[in-house]
Amino acid sequence: MVLELQKPRPIWQIMFSTHHTDVGLLYLITSLAFLFMGGALALAIRAELFLPGSQIISDSMTFNRIFTVHGTTLIFLFIIPFASSVGNYFVPIMVRYKDMAYPKLNAIAFWMIPPAGALIWLGFADFTWYATPPYSIISAPGPAADMWIFGLKILGISSVLGAINFIVTILKCKHPDMSIGQVPLLAWSFLSSSLIILVAIPTFAAALLMLLTDRLGVSGFFNPALGGDPIAYAHLFWFTFHPEVYVLVIPAIGMMYEIIPRFSRKPIHSYQSGIFAFVLLSIVGFSSWAHHMYATGMSFTEKTVFMVGTLAAVPASALHVFNFVATMWNGRIKFATPMMWAVGGIALFFSAGAGGVANAAMPLDFQTHDSYWVVGHFHLFVMGTIAFGSIGFLYYMFPYVTGRMYNEKMGKLHFVMSFIGTVMVFFTQHVLGLYGMPRRIFDYPPIPEWIAMNQIASVGAMIIGVSMVIFLANMIYSSGKGKLANTEDPFGVGGKYYYPFEVKNPSH
Amino acid sequence: MKKMIVLFLVLAVMVTVPVIESAFAAGDEPGQYLDRRVIIWNLFFKMMTIAFVVGAVVSGTIIWQCWRFRESNPKAKPTPYEGTDW
Repeated sequence: MVLELQKPRPIWQIMFSTHHTDVGLLYLITSLAFLFMGGALALAIRAELFLPGSQIISDSMTFNRIFTVHGTTLIFLFIIPFASSVGNYFVPIMVRYKDMAYPKLNAIAFWMIPPAGALIWLGFADFTWYATPPYSIISAPGPAADMWIFGLKILGISSVLGAINFIVTILKCKHPDMSIGQVPLLAWSFLSSSLIILVAIPTFAAALLMLLTDRLGVSGFFNPALGGDPIAYAHLFWFTFHPEVYVLVIPAIGMMYEIIPRFSRKPIHSYQSGIFAFVLLSIVGFSSWAHHMYATGMSFTEKTVFMVGTLAAVPASALHVFNFVATMWNGRIKFATPMMWAVGGIALFFSAGAGGVANAAMPLDFQTHDSYWVVGHFHLFVMGTIAFGSIGFLYYMFPYVTGRMYNEKMGKLHFVMSFIGTVMVFFTQHVLGLYGMPRRIFDYPPIPEWIAMNQIASVGAMIIGVSMVIFLANMIYSSGKGKLANTEDPFGVGGKYYYPFEVKNPSH
Repeated sequence: MKKMIVLFLVLAVMVTVPVIESAFAAGDEPGQYLDRRVIIWNLFFKMMTIAFVVGAVVSGTIIWQCWRFRESNPKAKPTPYEGTDW
């Protein structure tokens, strides 16, 4: 795949290829397209909330549609496909195999994403990314809700197919000379997250079918009027989507495990503890789903069990942070753009985790539940940790994908602006939540503190928006006109890269 | 690895014990959490004090590391792995 732009091929040859680097490229381009689409919706939300009253969005229904599609897009159509892109490029090379275990299945898994994205965007549903019942089954408007359900169904199948492929590639196709204890941590992160997907996704697949049949009026699983229980949906949803948080974050940590030792010019401090922490996170991810539901009338014992289950993730996460800090210690760190994103991601990962501990403490959750605190906490994870790790890794793999170097100054400017913007938006949202502002509201009363904090958050969002324009310009310009990269060692830090420039692509 | 496991266990105990204690701040009867706001907010401020102290230590360490171990620092020296195929 390297030097693709120097030796261009017909686009159809890439589109219908089953080679892992071609499928990786398709995942990459698709995920970035959805990043910008979902990001544009975020800017619309922040522009609307800059002041009380209607600003640029005419009514609350449209506002609901925008934040529903914003969340769905960035989680399912940016973060997961981006991780799949990285996995496609690197996992086969890391386990020293010629391709993914099932190349055709791999291509099929990718090609499910565009139609699913089209269903979500053309429908533009309004019931939040949680598909809140009973609203979603009783009165959410027609084709939009059904299109969202079918879109998510397709994305679920795509995720399961991708997970099977990663698991088989890592466990069964790795080189016979390579034990599982020698597989790089990035590949381990894909193994862990793929195992979570296999266990978690079927539950939501069932919930989606039940939601659909409820909407069609042939069942009443979640419809109180027919004896159903919306709380049952909450359990099914969160049983999948709390572990899904780890599906999103674990590959991003895996990417940091590739970047931080490379730019510190020394190996990872403790490879085994990285594996231990990945496996532990994969397990404890399933012990915490009901912490999203403390306010639904659970017993004291249930709440306490899930609180402890949630906090069990803290030591595992701390192990990762300690591993990164210990790796950087006594290194000779080159602060190229990928390293800046990775270090920024670690700092924000810690902050997001600290907010999560307060959230998970059941007595406090009652005070912060459904407030902007939750919005700030969740976004600090997805933007501050996952997107930072992912974007850093995109810069890291850029020379490999294009054979050229990105503009370093623009990359660093992108990081600095994004970091400042992220802190402005999401730290402020935590405080806004403590001041009592509920989440998912289209308008708010003119309370001076609320106005001031919303304005800070909106300005921060605009800074991120501008930085993303710089990022896009850098990617487009550098992929065509950037300086030619030394593909043996594009960052000049030495060591053995997993840069697969020697991969033989049959289409070349 | 053993050191990391020990570190993990210490962290696990440090996190779990105060948290189990804090669960009782909400009371064990439905609705009691509304009557116990002072206790709960007190818990919040205690947790935030811990979070800010730990956060300052971790963030301070990362910032110091970035300054001390950057390649342009006059004290920076090559790691033992440079020039090898590690």
